[in-house]
Amino acid sequence: MSLLRNIRTGLRSLFRRKQVDRELDEELCAYLEMQAAEKIREGMSRKEAVRAVRLERGSLDGAKEIVRSGGWESVVDTLWRDLLFAVRMLRRNPGSTAAVVIALALGIGLNATVFSFVNALLLRPPTGVKAPEQLREIWIHNPRDSGAQGYLPLTYPDYLYYYRDHSKSFQGILAYDGDPHLVIWNRSGEGQTVLGQLVSGNFFSLLGVNAVLGRTISAEDDQPASPQPVVVLGYGFWRRHLGSDSTILGKTLMLNGVNYSVIGVAPPGFTGLLVGFEPDFWAPTAVVEQITRDKGRLSNWHGHWLIAIGRLKPGASTSGARAEASVLEHQIEKDHPDLERNLDATVFPATLIPAPYRIYVSAFTGLLMAVFGFVLLIACANVASFLLARATGRTREMAVRSALGAGRGRLIQQMLVESTLLSSLAGLLGLILAYCTAPLLLALKPASLPITLSLPIDWRVLVFTVIVSMICGVAFGLTPALRSAKVQLASNLKDETQPAGFRKSRLRSLLMAGEVATCTVLLVCATLCVRSLRNASSINPGFNTQHVIAATLDPGSLGYSDAQVRNFYEQLSEHVRALPGVTAVSFTNHLPLGPAREHTLVTDAMRLGDKKDWQPIDRLRVSPGYFQTMGIPLLRGRDFNSSETEAGASVAIVNETLAQRLWKNQDPLGRRMNFIYEEKGAAEVIGVVPTGKYRTLGEDSVPVVFLPQIGARRTLVARTSGDPATLLGSVRREIHSVDPNIAPTDLETMQQYMSLPLFPARTLGLLLGVSGLLALVLTTIGLFGVISYIVSQRTHEIGVRVALGARRSDILNLVVRHGLFLTVVGLVVGLGMAFGAAQLVSSLLYGVTPTDPTTFIAVATVLCVVTVLACYLPARRAMRVDPMIALRYE
Amino acid sequence: MPDKSSDLVQGTLDMLVLKTLALEPMHGYGISVRIEQMSKRVFRPNAGSLFLAIQRLERDGLIDGEWKPTENNRRAKYYVLTQKGRKRLSSETQEWGRQAAAIARILEAS
Repeated sequence: MSLLRNIRTGLRSLFRRKQVDRELDEELCAYLEMQAAEKIREGMSRKEAVRAVRLERGSLDGAKEIVRSGGWESVVDTLWRDLLFAVRMLRRNPGSTAAVVIALALGIGLNATVFSFVNALLLRPPTGVKAPEQLREIWIHNPRDSGAQGYLPLTYPDYLYYYRDHSKSFQGILAYDGDPHLVIWNRSGEGQTVLGQLVSGNFFSLLGVNAVLGRTISAEDDQPASPQPVVVLGYGFWRRHLGSDSTILGKTLMLNGVNYSVIGVAPPGFTGLLVGFEPDFWAPTAVVEQITRDKGRLSNWHGHWLIAIGRLKPGASTSGARAEASVLEHQIEKDHPDLERNLDATVFPATLIPAPYRIYVSAFTGLLMAVFGFVLLIACANVASFLLARATGRTREMAVRSALGAGRGRLIQQMLVESTLLSSLAGLLGLILAYCTAPLLLALKPASLPITLSLPIDWRVLVFTVIVSMICGVAFGLTPALRSAKVQLASNLKDETQPAGFRKSRLRSLLMAGEVATCTVLLVCATLCVRSLRNASSINPGFNTQHVIAATLDPGSLGYSDAQVRNFYEQLSEHVRALPGVTAVSFTNHLPLGPAREHTLVTDAMRLGDKKDWQPIDRLRVSPGYFQTMGIPLLRGRDFNSSETEAGASVAIVNETLAQRLWKNQDPLGRRMNFIYEEKGAAEVIGVVPTGKYRTLGEDSVPVVFLPQIGARRTLVARTSGDPATLLGSVRREIHSVDPNIAPTDLETMQQYMSLPLFPARTLGLLLGVSGLLALVLTTIGLFGVISYIVSQRTHEIGVRVALGARRSDILNLVVRHGLFLTVVGLVVGLGMAFGAAQLVSSLLYGVTPTDPTTFIAVATVLCVVTVLACYLPARRAMRVDPMIALRYE
Repeated sequence: MPDKSSDLVQGTLDMLVLKTLALEPMHGYGISVRIEQMSKRVFRPNAGSLFLAIQRLERDGLIDGEWKPTENNRRAKYYVLTQKGRKRLSSETQEWGRQAAAIARILEAS
């Protein structure tokens, strides 16, 4: 009741201000008159009485001001007037306002961009899903392993016999295959690769997702015995590739050689539960063995491939669900002691990145946020220093205001309104910037990564930007505001020229030195990263990346027999070799530095019993001619020949590292090695190649063995004497002409391929480089501003100096020395901090030590040079000071 | 100029205004004079804080204002205690009595 009344009266005085004022006037007048009347009755003259009353009660206006400032509406009212005033002030100096706003907008905008990534990856719930906040991921956890290695998804039997139907905390538990499946879609004789995701029968119903056309996958569809396998199409795929064909229901798609009937189309906006992955189709988990040609996956107790997600019952707690998951895991161990699992299970809130990997994404984006936070800090310091300068110029204005009765609080409020107005404008501009730059950042990823990521500017990004803008506004506005509110009336109202020197601008100088320090940290980190990036690009991966193309093929996915597969590859090899410019063609099971890996244990055949001598190694499988195609020289021995490939001969080629490990300083040729735990596990060494890079570019020597037998899934490598990019189209045509059902994946030049292992370093290097440059520019502007300001404040003094015989070089010296002093102070602090910060990024550096002296010296030099340049323009103005004009102000 | 109203314990001015209006409806000056009289010239609220208190009470719905002619044929805003104001006055009086007694006990104890 009283709140409503309060608001009503407040609104009335806001909008019917005149009438309310009149009433208040009348009431107070009546009050004074009555008092005067009483004084007269007591025997005073009228004039005296009025005077006495006024003296006693304070001035009428004072009382009115007190009454008026009592209600909430007065705050709104003064804020509004401050805002209008601030707009006028900013419009008066459009140039400097624009400079400040742009500097801040860059800082805020880049932070908003990074945040839009954080939002898209970590904060945003899956779209198109009912009540995503109730969803929890279930992970098997190995308490002995740390990091992501400690977590495993479920096996199919885990899910089917234990988790799906035995939980009391969840309304239901769904599961999907975390690995996207690249599948060949045979479209009337032409192969095309499409991306699919396998999901449990309750996937759509539990998520509350309904088909726009037809129906979604049901529990009956997800039976291994289901006669006709079914798929639900992604909305985007249906529109792009099927032209929104509404008669698609009941038709079949041939995927990896099997016909699937289309039962529905998913609604637009629904792309599943994984970030960056927009499936073209969904199929039931029961078809996994057909899709992957991996027999026995459904009954395998060791294959962990299902990410399980449960929907909590109303009122159920996460901790309860966690306890239950753990109990179920222990039940599995009790029922199947032969598995020797010794594991635990736990649950996490579900977001678009599977829980075990979130920490890596958080670390990376956190680092970026920190870097751009520094840039924002520099921008803020610039603005603060600009506002300080203006505040000094406005001391007279403030003095007048305070003489007219404005309280300290009012003055501070007015200054803060101005600074938050500036930062709000910058925030708005920053949002626009983020909207434009976020997709650009996304373009950095290698084209071969099948990732789609939408970066919406949603309410979370908006809230973030508003909060950052407000914090900036208050942070950089507060000091100048407190400063200007501390006015000394008497001295300021007299027209005294303010002597400005080092001491008067101490705060600004401090800000500048801080800015230089921050800039130093950023520049050092950026330079280190960029240098390491250049080193990384020039790291020799051990094979030739020029003039080579690669294409991955998988005829096995179509259910071809071994003979058909061999026949296909033989024909393809002949066709490609016949292309103009092609000098060598070969195959491998996978390229080095990619995600695929094959580990095994080997030892010398003669020392089989000695477990200490077992070497963990990587194994690659290659066709004859691989080393020649990849430009890898054979150090000793010979290459495989085609008869060895076909006969499955037990021969091997090792790299130098493995040769050294097994047969230190002895001739490895002709030696026999054994593969531990494998049946046909022995091979004779026929050749040695130099050690290259196999897992990451930064690795030390990894021991590797090459074998001549490859499966159906192979990567074709071809070497050309010309431009490899022109070869891509003709290779695609040749593949099609040999077998139209087979479509290549990852058809690219080796240089394009190499962008994948370089991706993290390249992105970080680019972002750090941009932020370092930005920091440098902002710092230069800031230095320029401060020095210009100091020169303009010291015009009078410089005039006196010139009049007394100072030479122009003395003046130049004076100005530049001050600037350099600020920079050197900042540099000393900044280099110290950079020393610490560089340790943090040291794990990302290739071939550069975090204390690289060249980098530190280069950064210091650049900053000093820039300082001198920033001082030069103001110094030139100072040198031109005409003593007559400067002194005339006296 | 000494402002005796500043000697008032924070918040008690509201209570005094309510008490004054409990006797009869009154305009601003009347309230001021009445408080001065009743306190035997110990409290003399100044116009600013008095009107601030009046405005606050009116907003909270504890008193109602109405323009009326005075005995000297001037217009003045007379304030009347509302039902809610009466309740508040009695509860605040009780609370005040309790606190004053407690403070007195503490002071006597030493």
